Amino acid sequence: MTGNKKGFLIAGLLLLALSLSMALLPGIFTSYGQKEMFDAWLMPSKEHLLGTNSLGYDIFTELVYGAGDTLFVGLLSSVLTMIIGSAVGVLAAQRGAAGAFFSGLINIFMLLPRLIALIVLAAFVGQSRASLVLLIALFGWAGTARTVRAQVQRIKAQPYIEACTVAGYSRMHTALRHIVPGFSDVLLSRFLLGVNSCIMMESTLSFLGFGDLYHPTWGTMVNFAYKRGAFMRGAWNYILPPGISVMILSLAFYFISVYIEHRREVL
Amino acid sequence: MNKHLRNILIALACFILVVILNFLLPRMLPGDPVAYLSGFAEEDMTPAKYEYYREALHLDEGLFRQFLYYLKSLADGSLGYSFKKEMIVSDLIKERIGATLQIALPSLVISSGLGLVFGLYFGMKKDSKEDKVFGVTNMVVNAMPSFLIALVLLAALSFKLEIFPYSGLSKAGMFPGRSGFLLDRIHHLVLPVLTLTLGVLPSRYLMVRNNAAKEAGEKYVLYARQRGLSERKIRYLYVFKNIAQPFITMTGMSVSLCVGGSLVIENIFSINGMGKLLTEAVYTLDYPLMQGVLFVSTGVMVIAVIITDVLCILADPRQRREAAYDRK
Repeated sequence: MTGNKKGFLIAGLLLLALSLSMALLPGIFTSYGQKEMFDAWLMPSKEHLLGTNSLGYDIFTELVYGAGDTLFVGLLSSVLTMIIGSAVGVLAAQRGAAGAFFSGLINIFMLLPRLIALIVLAAFVGQSRASLVLLIALFGWAGTARTVRAQVQRIKAQPYIEACTVAGYSRMHTALRHIVPGFSDVLLSRFLLGVNSCIMMESTLSFLGFGDLYHPTWGTMVNFAYKRGAFMRGAWNYILPPGISVMILSLAFYFISVYIEHRREVL
Repeated sequence: MNKHLRNILIALACFILVVILNFLLPRMLPGDPVAYLSGFAEEDMTPAKYEYYREALHLDEGLFRQFLYYLKSLADGSLGYSFKKEMIVSDLIKERIGATLQIALPSLVISSGLGLVFGLYFGMKKDSKEDKVFGVTNMVVNAMPSFLIALVLLAALSFKLEIFPYSGLSKAGMFPGRSGFLLDRIHHLVLPVLTLTLGVLPSRYLMVRNNAAKEAGEKYVLYARQRGLSERKIRYLYVFKNIAQPFITMTGMSVSLCVGGSLVIENIFSINGMGKLLTEAVYTLDYPLMQGVLFVSTGVMVIAVIITDVLCILADPRQRREAAYDRK
């Protein structure tokens, strides 16, 4: 392997820091309020970096305030994904019927047409931020679980796990204290990729109009722009930036995960 | 147990899970199942109408009997009744699935093909400069949500350059049989298919590339090179054979990805396919129709998995001959 991929890490962290500071301190990026009205459909100018939308809101301000909600949904659903994924992954690595059952479950969820199932379920349970996070997590854990299962099976074959059994530790203790720390680095890179796919999933769903309208994310913004006719007017300054922001955020997580993956390989 | 047989069983289990989910969702969630299954809000119905729906949906009978009725509706191919559109669900889907497949199948073929060509090429040159550059490009495309790809392509190719139409599948007044219909259809399909292809290509490419990179260091490649075979021959006649299995499996898995991706794209390009049908159903709260779409797309996925697993067995001479011995 050549190069240490530090460049990826730095680029990723910079992009992430930018998004995070937008989320936490929107005030330093824009001096306008979220609901401050100007003339509608202004083109980009010095006063309005990206122009204004159909209602006269400053698009750049909207973008800055959308960062928090996008990150919130992405991070929270990814954390949930990771928890469900590692629990099922550890269970699936057991021998016997329980292991077979959970392995089967992983494989079934790998196959499910995720997007369609999510759309149908979102329609049934209603649109809210909480249900969106929950649904994305419920359908996104399979990949993590599969990786965890492989890792646990690898670790279990190691002599130190045998030593734990000989020393008479309970299975719970061995699993939590000796097996889980063994794959925590894999979990970290899965987590980063998970944030990536959760954000993508969320923005696609929000774009289709299944998002929480009270907490507009970038996906919801594109949906609004599309519905309000930005597309037909050729107002690309309204419809493209939120999508590009999703791309940049997702690249940030991707870059960091490339570095971590690489470091793991070298070790 | 044979890996491929197991895959087929898993696909069938997945299918059954969706059937059960479809059945239980309207009955178990808080809220009146009559409202879910008819699609009308309780307040909008007269008591007589309410009773009629209750009767028509067999909601007074036991859960098990209801499940049998549901299975019957699947078995006779009607998939239930949409009270909102006053049509049988399967008829509605039949009308629309053609458009979805016209986008999904070409994208499936093109993205798998390109994934194979690029993946093999750069995988064999792993860690070279060009591999890295292509890898980063791939990453960037992968980070783009499919609606962004669609919007960028639309902005550039149909609004700026005005080469391609931005909506529908045919020009106004075009119908099958008229001269130029096929050309017009292809002209309309270019952008949606390109969008979907770009959307699924990165993961396909990465998978082929990583598999090919593993093979690149093998001795048989070195030997083939020593014999003076061209790189192209090595790639397609030697390495491809060894990565054929994961490649076929992956192609099968991407069928559901393409169908799912088509749902998003249809909404942007105003194409009357299954995706448009699903969003319409969601906006009008037509639950039976939504369930029908989920059922059909899961069905397509299961069929794809079964076909690819049979292909995998046929493509592998070891398994093919083993099966032949068993028959003797």
